[in-house]
Amino acid sequence: MGRLFLWRLLRTALAVWALASGVFLLSHLEGDTAVELAQPDLAELRTTGRASTLAARQTLDLATRHRLGLDIPLFYVGTHRPTSATAGQWHWNGLPNQYHRWLVGLLQGEFGTSYRTGESVGSRLLQALLFTLPLTGTAATLAVLLALVLAQRLAARPGWHRPVRGALVALQALPLFVIALGLLLFFANPAMLVWFPSYGLDQAVDAEMGVGEQLPFYLWHMTLPVAALTLSALPELTLQLTAALEQELGAGYATTARAKGLAERAVIRHHALRNALLPSLAQLAELLPALVAGAVVVEVAFALPGMGRLLAEAAAARDFPVLVGGVLLIGAARLLALLLTDLLSLWADPRIRWQR
Amino acid sequence: MYRVRQNFLAGARLCLAIALLLQGCTAKRRAEAPIKIRWAHDPENLDPMVMANQTAIDAINLLNCSLLQADFTTNQFAPALAEALPTVQLFGDSLMRLQYTIRPEAAWDTGRPVLATDVAFTLKLMFCPGLPNAGPGGQYRFIREVLIDPRNPRRFSFVCTSQAVEYVQASGDFFILPEAALDPKGELRAFSLAALQQRPASAPPNAVLEALSRRYAAAAPGQTPARLPGCGPYQLVKWEKDRYLRFARKPHWWADRVPHRPFVLQARPAQLEYAIIPDAATASLALQRGDIDVFPQMPTREFTRLRKAPATRANLNFYTTASYDVVTVGFNTRRPALSDALTRQALGRCFDAAGILQGSELGEGQRTVGLLNPADRLNYNDSLAPVPFDPAGAVALLRRAGWQRGATTEAGWRRNSSQGPQQLRLVMRYRTDEQLFATIALQFQAAAASIGVPVSLQPTESGAFSMALRNGEFDVYVRALRGNPFMFNFTPFLHSQAIGAGNNTGFSTPESDQLIAAIAAANTAPRRAQLLRRFQGLMQQEMPLLPLFFLSNHIAAQKRLTGLHPTSLKPGFAAMAIGEAAAPPTAP
Amino acid sequence: MGRPSHPVAALASQSLFGPPKWAVAWLGLLVLVAVVAPVLPLPYPPHVPDLAHIAQAPLAPGQHWLGTDAQGRDVLTLLVFGTRTAVFLTLPAALLAAIIGALLGSAAGFWGNRARVDISYGAVVAGSVWWVLRLPAPWLGGVAGALGLVGVATGGIRRRKLAFRLPLDALVRGGATALDTVPRLVLVVALAASAGSISAPGLLVLLTVTSWATPARLVRAQMLRIRTLPFVEAAQAAGVPAWRIWLKHAIPHAIRPLYTLFPLSLARLLGLESTLSFLGIGLPPEVASWGRLMASYRQESSAWWLFAFPSTMLIITILSLQKLTNSRK
Repeated sequence: MGRLFLWRLLRTALAVWALASGVFLLSHLEGDTAVELAQPDLAELRTTGRASTLAARQTLDLATRHRLGLDIPLFYVGTHRPTSATAGQWHWNGLPNQYHRWLVGLLQGEFGTSYRTGESVGSRLLQALLFTLPLTGTAATLAVLLALVLAQRLAARPGWHRPVRGALVALQALPLFVIALGLLLFFANPAMLVWFPSYGLDQAVDAEMGVGEQLPFYLWHMTLPVAALTLSALPELTLQLTAALEQELGAGYATTARAKGLAERAVIRHHALRNALLPSLAQLAELLPALVAGAVVVEVAFALPGMGRLLAEAAAARDFPVLVGGVLLIGAARLLALLLTDLLSLWADPRIRWQR
Repeated sequence: MYRVRQNFLAGARLCLAIALLLQGCTAKRRAEAPIKIRWAHDPENLDPMVMANQTAIDAINLLNCSLLQADFTTNQFAPALAEALPTVQLFGDSLMRLQYTIRPEAAWDTGRPVLATDVAFTLKLMFCPGLPNAGPGGQYRFIREVLIDPRNPRRFSFVCTSQAVEYVQASGDFFILPEAALDPKGELRAFSLAALQQRPASAPPNAVLEALSRRYAAAAPGQTPARLPGCGPYQLVKWEKDRYLRFARKPHWWADRVPHRPFVLQARPAQLEYAIIPDAATASLALQRGDIDVFPQMPTREFTRLRKAPATRANLNFYTTASYDVVTVGFNTRRPALSDALTRQALGRCFDAAGILQGSELGEGQRTVGLLNPADRLNYNDSLAPVPFDPAGAVALLRRAGWQRGATTEAGWRRNSSQGPQQLRLVMRYRTDEQLFATIALQFQAAAASIGVPVSLQPTESGAFSMALRNGEFDVYVRALRGNPFMFNFTPFLHSQAIGAGNNTGFSTPESDQLIAAIAAANTAPRRAQLLRRFQGLMQQEMPLLPLFFLSNHIAAQKRLTGLHPTSLKPGFAAMAIGEAAAPPTAP
Repeated sequence: MGRPSHPVAALASQSLFGPPKWAVAWLGLLVLVAVVAPVLPLPYPPHVPDLAHIAQAPLAPGQHWLGTDAQGRDVLTLLVFGTRTAVFLTLPAALLAAIIGALLGSAAGFWGNRARVDISYGAVVAGSVWWVLRLPAPWLGGVAGALGLVGVATGGIRRRKLAFRLPLDALVRGGATALDTVPRLVLVVALAASAGSISAPGLLVLLTVTSWATPARLVRAQMLRIRTLPFVEAAQAAGVPAWRIWLKHAIPHAIRPLYTLFPLSLARLLGLESTLSFLGIGLPPEVASWGRLMASYRQESSAWWLFAFPSTMLIITILSLQKLTNSRK
């Protein structure tokens, strides 16, 4: 069992590496745009600041490429060298290439530096992650707990099944930013209710306060974002679990359990739930990486400095080191989550054996 | 470390939810609260050489000083570090000497005076290899030499290679950096400015220059401006990425000793805080609640809504100024179908600029005939009329351009030219994230369809949009050009030299090239005005670009704030001049 | 779940209880509207902004019954044309994603990593990849492919000996994971790089490609359980070929979770459309959609009608689809 687990872990690491390499190579094919965006903005009618002739432009491009480390070949092999005109033939580019440089850096624990800010990517990701994890973690925990409770109730009492399910479907039909804006406009609007602050974390959270004072303040700021995330994740989880529970309750063993005289609640809790959870576990596996990836929409709406916003902005600005670093992190989380799901399904249904 | 602890603790929040309820949320406002201003995004990089974006420029402006700075009360350059505007001496027909004297009070935080050697050092930095200086390096190439007065270490002259009027002011518009912080031994003094400017990229590496670029990289002024402290009135106290930046007024700033302190040397708020709130709706809520004090560049419709609502009208002040941002349509003149001026003029008549201005911007903005702002009375050509919305006239113009309409509406317009038969169908690109551009594109598509010209719209992600413009992958585009009142050199946008660089319409005629060069070299303002008026006429005739209208700039601020000095210049108000009224706000 | 009912018998019993009439009526109406949208006598054309009435509330003086959006387009017209997109683009995409996900997921769950595949298939694939990538001496790829084809044609005799293990489970899960991890972020980069904006067929492919992973994962998890059930073992003991058990007996049970998921995935796809707008990827404005109508609420946070109408339509559609799938159980 232990060796199997190690083997799976190794395979997971390999998959993460393959994924990050793929993203690295694909994104760096677009190096031209990164060079373009790293230069002063064309829409700015400044005196010059931008190369005004083709030759000057090429010099500037070259300098920018060099600064960003995009002036060497992308990979060990390539279809054409920049200098030679015979495209379509494969060449050996040698060791000094972008991928090799990145990989060597990665092995030494270096994610590289951001194109935009020149900061170290590792520290930037860590900063965003430390912020994102409590936010999304709380939301995910709440959503799962609520879904468990709601689904059990819904399955047990088909009486109010219908209106609640209607409400959940309605919630599912609303995009996340409508939920977020709606919460803001309702609970943080001087024209309506002013229960919560309007935007993420202002400086007050960092102010010189004791921990006892700071924590409630932090919680107060996090309520609306967590609520928005929970509300958006809840419907699908609950509906899926309810459907699975209902199906299990129709099965033979549930009838047997009822015939033994067990209460409906007990049938659900002791017999059906475990079986019904199996497909839902697959959904849970999707939650963990989502925790790491953050939620762009909520982070933008509530002005929170999280992972989702960081990566979306990096993608828009073609800040490849940050982007690839982020994908590496999310990929690792996702694959670990899959591993975790396997362990969990083993627990939920011992008939499933490890497959080699 | 603070964040780690805070986030760790947050994990236990469920257990402590009760504490929240009991304790309540008593936000204590400190007596000396900072003035809070909304920014839409993080400045990302505060390197004075890079000046990555407008928010970064605003922040760098608080930390540094330049010789001349824009005075928001007059919209003119005024002396800041310099005692007065430079004196101009012309030599021959292409050389100009500009003499400056630095104020005797000017000093770095260490107490060392700001001297001419610092100015020379900053200029040389712009041409040092290995520094992120591509921007200023292109901009200040016209200064060939810095002559320091041997009798007065604060007096110096720039030798410029052109006599253009605009260089007089541009010569003072860069932030002066301290030589002592980067080059304590003065090793760069051994290099002349011209030698650095002409240094080829392939030159062998030089130990002094390499050491300097290493020191610059180590100081990392983009992330830690305090390691390259400027002589501006503020210092960066705290910078939480994507959250806020806080600046504190230096207790002993050199300009406090300047008698009769001019406007550009004012710095009234003790603390300034820029809150980064990406979403406009969230920021508007924060403003209404008093969480932020100033909301610059507010979206027009939200601004109008708040101005009309009684609750917000009582608490907020509303300012509108004209801006120098002009919404412009560009035609790809390299496309055979768009290579003649008549076709471009015809298409130009399909834009309902007045209707869009009224509908989308609620009439706030100003129509224009060219790239110059109508507020610039001297240079704006008021004898021209803006291009009208006139589909019938467009049809007539298309006929004159040799186009023939097919028998059916689907056939569209065709013509035979020397390059073979052509068909008039267009691809229009615009950036996805701007609602206004989408409206303009839809309006144009509908109007063009009504005269039988099919237009397909391609809203494009902003990075890809830059690439498409650069590679000429468009027929028509619409975008906003951000201008300023001091810019009259159109070489990078419309000169034939710049095709493949900044001139993405690919437009050029010998006549326009001559005119652009003449404007750039004009050495008196009236002469330049005369040329500029002719230039606007020519551009309306040729129409590679069709400027539709200038946008206006909206600022909403709390009533207690005074002295915002709303202006047409970026960022639209004077953050350093803001004061707070002592009395509580009264209803109007 | 323990009793394996024969699918044909199950179908026969279901047809007695038809789906609720209102659900069928609503879905039929949507399809009808989608088909006749171009010839409907709507008061306003779909893509012409009414500059005099921008972001008008419903029933305001502008004569727009359901108001206008931030570009002055008529919301009613957009809803009608959005229905067209939903019926001809989003719904097929959801169906396609569900089918692909169900096939891949159930195969991965059924065979795991132990599927044995004749080596000649591998040769065909490797050869064509070699050829397509134009690796050195492309004829090598051609030869390998041809040999593989010959092997497939004459295969069957030596299958037991010359076979390799296809890690089907690892492949499907890897693919799903890669797609799930990368898309919405790098999507921005990749898509913007390729075209800058997306056409309608492009959107169909995009939606399908990015959303087959969820059904695949659900079905795989369910299949892991089905595989161990007695009826599968019984069929195996009876000598039924593995693929027949998979297709005829296991899949009908394994796709149960999709009945709930499918209607919800419609909302998810529309949400993806609005997220694309949110991230600044352009869809051509000719492709009107409910999702994008909802997305335009972001620019006009006082315009409740921009999300109220499309989401109402979406809710009714999801509920109808749920009724329909529930009645099929």
